[in-house]
Amino acid sequence: MNPRLQAAVEAGRKGGCPGIAPYLTAGDGGVGRTLAALHAIEKAGAVCVELGLPFSDPLADGPVLQAAAERSLEGGMTPTRTLDLIQRYRQEGGQMAVMLFSYTNPLFVGLGGLRASAERLAAVGGDGFVVPDLPPELAGELQDACEELDLGTVFFATPRSSPARIRAAAEASSGFLYCVGRVGVTGQRTHFDAEVLRWLDQVRDLAGSTPLAVGFGVATPGDITALTGHTDLAISGSALVQHLHRTKGTDQDGAQAAFDFVAALCGAQPD
Amino acid sequence: MSTFQLPTHFGRFGGCYAPETLMPALLELEAAYIEATGDGAFEQELQRLRRDFAGRATPLFHARRLSQEWGLDLWIKREDLLHTGAHKLNNALGQALLAKRMGKTRILAETGAGQHGVASATVCALLGLECVVYMGEVDMQRQRPNVERMHLLGARVEPVKSGQRTLKDAVNEALRAWVSDPDAHYLLGSALGPHPFPTMVAAFHQVIGDEAKEQFQAQGGGSLPDLAVACVGGGSNAIGLFRAFVPHDSVTLVGVEAGGRGSEPGEHAARWLGGQEGVLHGCRTLVLSDEHGQIQGTHSISAGLDYPAVGPEHAHLADIGRARYETARDDEALEGFAALARLEGILPALESSHALGWLMSHREEWRGKQVVLGLSGRGDKDLDTVLPLLGGQA
Repeated sequence: MNPRLQAAVEAGRKGGCPGIAPYLTAGDGGVGRTLAALHAIEKAGAVCVELGLPFSDPLADGPVLQAAAERSLEGGMTPTRTLDLIQRYRQEGGQMAVMLFSYTNPLFVGLGGLRASAERLAAVGGDGFVVPDLPPELAGELQDACEELDLGTVFFATPRSSPARIRAAAEASSGFLYCVGRVGVTGQRTHFDAEVLRWLDQVRDLAGSTPLAVGFGVATPGDITALTGHTDLAISGSALVQHLHRTKGTDQDGAQAAFDFVAALCGAQPD
Repeated sequence: MSTFQLPTHFGRFGGCYAPETLMPALLELEAAYIEATGDGAFEQELQRLRRDFAGRATPLFHARRLSQEWGLDLWIKREDLLHTGAHKLNNALGQALLAKRMGKTRILAETGAGQHGVASATVCALLGLECVVYMGEVDMQRQRPNVERMHLLGARVEPVKSGQRTLKDAVNEALRAWVSDPDAHYLLGSALGPHPFPTMVAAFHQVIGDEAKEQFQAQGGGSLPDLAVACVGGGSNAIGLFRAFVPHDSVTLVGVEAGGRGSEPGEHAARWLGGQEGVLHGCRTLVLSDEHGQIQGTHSISAGLDYPAVGPEHAHLADIGRARYETARDDEALEGFAALARLEGILPALESSHALGWLMSHREEWRGKQVVLGLSGRGDKDLDTVLPLLGGQA
């Protein structure tokens, strides 16, 4: 496994509570603001980041992340600039695992294809891909390239996925399996009740040694507490993106807001 | 792994580029489709409704005055005479029957011109299903009569306010709604999207070409036409017509895209002019996107052709050289509209008018030839657009 991803998962397993893996839309509020937020969430204790490459037609996303992508694109963000951002974060000493969250078309067209995307991500110090509209059946080219380049590839499990699909998605995943605790798009609340937690435990059995991350609707320290013992990583996206967007002021003000939000998640206590 | 049973691709196009949140629904749909089409009772019920409710077979009309004017033999496949005024009902009937069989109680649909929305609302009224139609705000304005029709038929029309607020955005919203509502069936209106939609939708429209071929022969057109031509937005009416003729190499197949106002990005919806291979709405196909992979805006005078990707089977037919895809500009479509109105007493939909406009501009190439043209719909819905532009001419 990619060493930074491995470290992220191990850090997550060590603390009792799951490791925090926030999602940020690259370029929302400007490249400087995203860069400052990356360093801030790392300082707050995040172990991994999903960096969203903005796309015009994000069909798995709810209104918050749609709007963030729109703002970012209006600001001139591109796939290449997203890679540049990762490179700057590394050059400035950033250590978190960086997963590029992108829909298929910007990889196909904007970065020159799936293999070229992997080569370019590896070259700037990225650690893997989360591509929501690329199921394992169609991901062969990306998987092959990522394996050669020691990058992670992440696939999804949902409560409606059959056990066979969950097993296959876990086998195809390197880094972690992304568990969506409910039906729907990003940004709606999920109640991590007994039923969801039971499902996560079933996924754990099906996934074998593949670590789990839970996302979609993770917003509060209470969610993190509830998830303790049921997942290795917890991904928080829309809530953080919205919080950051609502924080006016300088890039540093944004960074402080991101720090506070993630520090609260990282400070969650197990039950 | 529980995965698909039917071929998912047309050459390298198509596939199922869908989030895992949709995959269980798509797998369930494919399984139900295979099971239903293998059951004589389903086929029988579909035949009955096509005949008694929809009014199939639609005529193949020998347009003699226009033939004389253009110096060719023009045969028009009259999908405009199908109940609700467009070919869309073929697919809506098939999918709604399937949904009912699957025990679904609610239908989600997207619409551009409103024709698919009306067809969906119609079959839902017929079969007692709840119907929610997603429609871009821009399209709601330019296709007001169809919005009213959907309301009368008992459907709820959800205005889509994201993106360009046209067909592409309506598909996004309908897909998002389906993810959140797995008990509903998403009645996708064209031969695009993730597998199994392109395969299934084309199969429900294949009746267009099957009938046309038989009628052409029965009416003394000869054994086969020289040309089959139809407009292509997503491409469902064209694929329905083409499939019957694909095995016959002597029949040239031409799909006509919206050339809009010009060749600049955003001014047209011509995927073979400005598109590249990419992925949109779950399938790999030709897509109008910029160098960064962001989907581009489109323009067409007809809402039904105003879409940045094309059905994957068309991308494949072009790739293997079996069909060619050309454009008609807004003004050519209007000329086609006027010609059919004036010489044959038929008001065509602006979508279908693109096929007419292209043929009019290329009539020298087809002089003396036998041409079958797919008239996908009637033009009453377009009068608000057409009247200010054509005034007293038509």
